[in-house]
Amino acid sequence: MTTMDRLVGAGVDRIDGPAKVRGTAPYAYEQDPGEPIAHLAVVQSTVNRGRISRLDPSRAEALPGVLAVLTPANAPRLGKGLASDLPVLQSLDVHYQGQVVAAVVAETSEIAKAAVGAIAVGYDAEPPDVALSPDREDLYAPEKLMAGFATDSIIGDVDGALAAAVVSIDATYETPTQHHNPIEMHTSMARWDGDSLTLWDADQGPHNIVNDLVTGFGLDAGQVRVISPYVGGAFGSKAFTHPNQMLAAMAARVVGRTVVYELTRQQMFSLVGHRTPTIQRLRLGADPEGRLTAISHEVVEHTARIAEFAEQTATPTRVLYAAPHRRTTHRLARLDVPPPTIMRAPGETPGMFALESAMDELAVVLGLDPVELRIRNEPERDPERDLPWSTRNLVECLRTGAERFGWAGRDLRPGVRTEGRWLVGTGVASATYPTRRRKAQCRISVDGAGRYVVEIDGSDIGTGAWTALTQIAADALGTDMASVELRIGDSRLPFAGGAGGSTGLASWGTAIVFTARDLRKQLDEQHGGQPPAGGLSVDGELPGESPHAKTHSMHAYGAHFVEVRVDRDSGEVRVPRATSVYDAGTIVNAKTARSQLLGGFSMGVSMALHEGSVTDERYGHYVNHDLAEYHVATNADIGEIDISWLDVDDQLANPIGLKGIGEIGITGAAAAVANAYWHATRLRIRDLPITPDKYFRELGES
Amino acid sequence: MDFLQPTSWADALAVRAERSDAVPIAGGTDVMVDLNFDRRRPGALLDLGRVPELREWTVEDGTGGVGATGGVGGSTVRLGAGVPYSRIIDDLGARLPGLAMAARTVGSPQIRIRGTVGGNLGSASPAGDAHPPLLAAGAVVEVESAARGVRRIPAAEFFTGVKRNALEPDELIAAVLVPEAVGPQQFCKVGTRNAMVIAVSAFACALHPDRRAVGTGIGSAAPTPRRAPEAEEFLAGELESAGLWESRGDLPDGLARAFGERVAAAASPIDDVRGSAAYRRHSLAVMARRSVTWAWAEYQQDLRKAA
Repeated sequence: MTTMDRLVGAGVDRIDGPAKVRGTAPYAYEQDPGEPIAHLAVVQSTVNRGRISRLDPSRAEALPGVLAVLTPANAPRLGKGLASDLPVLQSLDVHYQGQVVAAVVAETSEIAKAAVGAIAVGYDAEPPDVALSPDREDLYAPEKLMAGFATDSIIGDVDGALAAAVVSIDATYETPTQHHNPIEMHTSMARWDGDSLTLWDADQGPHNIVNDLVTGFGLDAGQVRVISPYVGGAFGSKAFTHPNQMLAAMAARVVGRTVVYELTRQQMFSLVGHRTPTIQRLRLGADPEGRLTAISHEVVEHTARIAEFAEQTATPTRVLYAAPHRRTTHRLARLDVPPPTIMRAPGETPGMFALESAMDELAVVLGLDPVELRIRNEPERDPERDLPWSTRNLVECLRTGAERFGWAGRDLRPGVRTEGRWLVGTGVASATYPTRRRKAQCRISVDGAGRYVVEIDGSDIGTGAWTALTQIAADALGTDMASVELRIGDSRLPFAGGAGGSTGLASWGTAIVFTARDLRKQLDEQHGGQPPAGGLSVDGELPGESPHAKTHSMHAYGAHFVEVRVDRDSGEVRVPRATSVYDAGTIVNAKTARSQLLGGFSMGVSMALHEGSVTDERYGHYVNHDLAEYHVATNADIGEIDISWLDVDDQLANPIGLKGIGEIGITGAAAAVANAYWHATRLRIRDLPITPDKYFRELGES
Repeated sequence: MDFLQPTSWADALAVRAERSDAVPIAGGTDVMVDLNFDRRRPGALLDLGRVPELREWTVEDGTGGVGATGGVGGSTVRLGAGVPYSRIIDDLGARLPGLAMAARTVGSPQIRIRGTVGGNLGSASPAGDAHPPLLAAGAVVEVESAARGVRRIPAAEFFTGVKRNALEPDELIAAVLVPEAVGPQQFCKVGTRNAMVIAVSAFACALHPDRRAVGTGIGSAAPTPRRAPEAEEFLAGELESAGLWESRGDLPDGLARAFGERVAAAASPIDDVRGSAAYRRHSLAVMARRSVTWAWAEYQQDLRKAA
């Protein structure tokens, strides 16, 4: 038993840990619908653009064990109003390679997969248009960006200030297409009872999925139930509905029994989204002391023909540093690619690579310590919204990180430290991510014995939300964790938005705090502070954004310090150690938070050194569409990572004082690695990932 | 698809002869990937996992004459085709150091427990990690058919094309005969991450002081794994003419470098998603220089130990 005054802050073990270790926590594929399950497999288009000219399902239909073959010719019609690629099997038109053009339902997954190979499909195809370039004439400005951000922001006379700047840099950075690849493949298991649909599903928020099923199948919200108690990772790929949920529900309706569809790893590269590639031009102007006079961040990225997804890549540049003249722009190319989607810190992750690399380049030109350059450009207020900060401790993160890492006395010169065959360097970058919260409802019930049930449609996608929410609830109710039973991951529970945008605990936790206050008030005022024998149940709601969100600029911050070693003969790169310090407000669970921040940073190292989906511009597909070829960092690629956070509390953001930790760790991390790489080698790699061959490309040797 | 599971070597050969449509499967770390990706749909799988003869390794002394090319009167390890990498690491680090070093770089612990040298030879991928040290050591692949009995094929002649080998349709790989190391051996591999990686390029070298020869093996930089014969002869000759085999004097840096260049020249790499042809050549030169430098330093240490 803990003797702490409050549970929030403690490194409590995951309450779902024992069930997960024993394999008794049911993921979507392992749910028991109470009847035999039929399996679904899909035929995917082999062209990026065109129209199906021939599709013969007869051989597949004749195979023993095949229950149905769904094609655009016979699939049930879905309701109008579905966006992007959700109207599956509704048309003969093909918009991206990998689009589902037919689906087989069979007694076993093996039969279904075998039948896929028996379906012949022909296409009238046009050549794929998949190459992103800043020179494309069809680049356009979207009306607005993801999450409602303005497409452009222009303050002052940027070009004039850049021309007049004593010191300036002008550089273009590129990040490749990336795929999320959570360890659990997307899985949807659908069962119809009359006109009511139950979907056991791997997603980041059951309520997010319900709406599209209601639209697609012409149902009332009460006729759809989505259940997702345990989810094996997501990173954004499970935030929104994808074709898999529509297909499973459609197939179950056709065959009249439960159908499960689990994507293959290769299908994860076409059906559930990706991070857009970016081409980013950064121009910085400064005075001789390193004070920025102008910042220009111009982004080119892609979206799909059938869906506009405008990643907010330059938005961190709108808040991070002071400068009187500033400009951010976003331009899109519509390509024959699958629809992009959010991926861990959409916007900040690619945007901070460019901004924080450019800041390092500016520090080099100035001959200034890159930590000092950042401190000199610390803004007193949000430089574009002209609002005070709720809390902002970036400078403290930089100073604390520098101390923990041993930054003092660092030689600014690049390429001068060797240990045997290794060139050694160190680098720094800032981190930032917006602090937000969303509408959420909650119900808390107490029985006569003082046992509480807390119900909210929150999601634990591997983050630790099961545990952290129970800690928050126990504190808010003035009880211990054993007296709180949490229920999450079910659309029948009170409404909540999904896990995304680092808003989970801020939204769900605050709704729990508000509801717990109401409950305790009622207990105090009407029941003498004791639960009545018959129990008591209270419904509460968090309306949405903090009332201070309009008057204050709210963000989390961090600083990464990284050591990089580069083999001067082979160009291989190692990251033996790093220090990250965060201002993320109150930390609810010290143990799961450390895992989140460590995972975010590791994903940033992975982005810097390994990740990139290679597009074949002739045939339009992703060449490395499996985990043998799409490399993510392994244990052997991650060295000693020192994670810590400042003891801060942002009461303007929410009553718990937290800022969210799901995404801050990845922001800036790739830039810190690239900056350290430069310090080790003198070579500036501006296009990720930093693979061994690029060392020789930059040396001009190959 | 039939799943055929013989429990003796004789039965396995009989099944192989009857079922030309069967794909032999050992650890399954290649075959199962192919099936999963629908690269092939064989009529049958011939599972060799229950054949006890394949899971043994023994030492045969030189006088018995197993036909290996190496080891003047030395011993040879007869490595059953089904011995997994994890056992090579545990049991054979001293006898077959080059192969054991390569085995340590294969996949993950799970893959090393399942994967076998016999399977690696059967797949005959140019990127197979076991191939370079087998080439450098002068290993011989023992294959057998029910109709014609045993055939011994030098590793250097075993690989006939991209993922093709010298096996006849009715043959199975029984064992690999690897001369025990009489001198230092090294293995190097470059990948685009630090583990769980298909080699961008790989290199193995072996010093054979007993016959004053040098062995090499190149991986992932040609349609097949291959030796660098000119580099081998060059280095052995230079060591001979400078009297270095006897004196065990320092290896001139220029000689290691020239060896590396000759190794790189022996490759025929391509550009692909894992790396460019130019990078493959460059990294081979680096690995060859490094590995021969390390091997030579070890050779010099051996003398001090003996003295």
